[in-house]
Amino acid sequence: MNNDLFSAISRFELMAFFSGYPLIYTLTLVIAGNDLLKEKFIGRTIPLLPLAYALVGTLFLGFQFKKLFPDYSFEHIRLTIKQPGLVAWGLLSILFWIPTFNRKTILSLLHSLVFFVLLATDLFMLLSSQSADNNMVRNDMEVYVNSLLLNVGAFAVLITLCYFFPSFKKK
Amino acid sequence: MKHFNKMLLAILVLISSYGLIASCTNKNIPLPASVSTGVIINHGNHIHLSGLTVGDTTQWKFDKAHSSVNWSSPFEGVGAPLTGKFNQFGVAEVTTAKMLSYATTAQPLPDTSWAFYENVPAKTHFSGYVQINQVNTGEPGRDGGCLVSTLGTTAIVTGTQNLSVTNVALIKTTKVEFDPLSNNYIATFNFTWKGNLGVPLTKSIVGKLTYIPSAVFSTHHEFGLSLAFQINCRDYGITSANVADVITIQVNTNFNNQ
Repeated sequence: MNNDLFSAISRFELMAFFSGYPLIYTLTLVIAGNDLLKEKFIGRTIPLLPLAYALVGTLFLGFQFKKLFPDYSFEHIRLTIKQPGLVAWGLLSILFWIPTFNRKTILSLLHSLVFFVLLATDLFMLLSSQSADNNMVRNDMEVYVNSLLLNVGAFAVLITLCYFFPSFKKK
Repeated sequence: MKHFNKMLLAILVLISSYGLIASCTNKNIPLPASVSTGVIINHGNHIHLSGLTVGDTTQWKFDKAHSSVNWSSPFEGVGAPLTGKFNQFGVAEVTTAKMLSYATTAQPLPDTSWAFYENVPAKTHFSGYVQINQVNTGEPGRDGGCLVSTLGTTAIVTGTQNLSVTNVALIKTTKVEFDPLSNNYIATFNFTWKGNLGVPLTKSIVGKLTYIPSAVFSTHHEFGLSLAFQINCRDYGITSANVADVITIQVNTNFNNQ
């Protein structure tokens, strides 16, 4: 892995968009799994989780466009996009707008766990190395908190849409 | 599936919590070192000894043309400094027997009354003199006029170097030691001057001696010694109100091994 500064920034960007999703996902599922809440409102929001994830992916795509503006040439993309493999993987989240993918909600969790693993790796390094820098973990956690907020926000937007536009949910 | 979700949630919460705690813990962050305000004192091992043999690079010669003796005192005790220098001076011990007028325009005595040991200040010593009537403030009327009587001396006689008792101020070190607060030295010396008194007065003065290490010039080496000190001119019978009690004197000397 390329460890230069721009690669590290790119890694933080990916974590900021996607690493918070697994916790939102499992928390929603655990709450919805409660027998008392199963038939309540929260239980009916589970199908929206992959869509919320797709919304985050779309925002990530917009962010990439913003970074590249105004030069969208291949050369500029090649120079600007660091960690192209991870970025491409992140952009795949847009596929969850497609019903074929969003019907299996577990796929969105598996997709996002890749980014959570990046965070967990840093924590593991702190655990296993006495010389690890706390600042690295502090940065990761700040990014992680922002990611949680972003994913909660995206989820809330979709819930709101479904509430005011029931036809959206049917689609 | 329900158990899997709960287990996954527990793992995620555990990892997240650990990250949160680890990021808030400052135990591994060392306190920043305090800023050092102390002066780094580092004395080398240079030894400079005097001599007159031209071409002997182990002997250091007084570079009179590139040296100076300057003085300053607030004008009328309150104004901006009144400054001047002495045109004729040397690094020689002027004993009573040598207090004569010399018919020469060159240095009247060999400038060899000194030795400098950078790391053994106890062995460092120097003697020197200035010719008082060679005072130069840049105002010919004052230098050759009122200042002659103010300083209790006699006018310049062209072609002579006047080292008579009325026209010389002498210094001779009694002790040189390291300055504990800087890279310089503290020089204690006797300052002898007749001024307007009946006989010369000797007072012990403490000054700051600064060594400028030898450096290579195109054909030779050169090093410098600076001495800064103050005298109270009233001790020597100087009554002029044009100058303050305290006169600050700065001696800048250069030596080469040509």
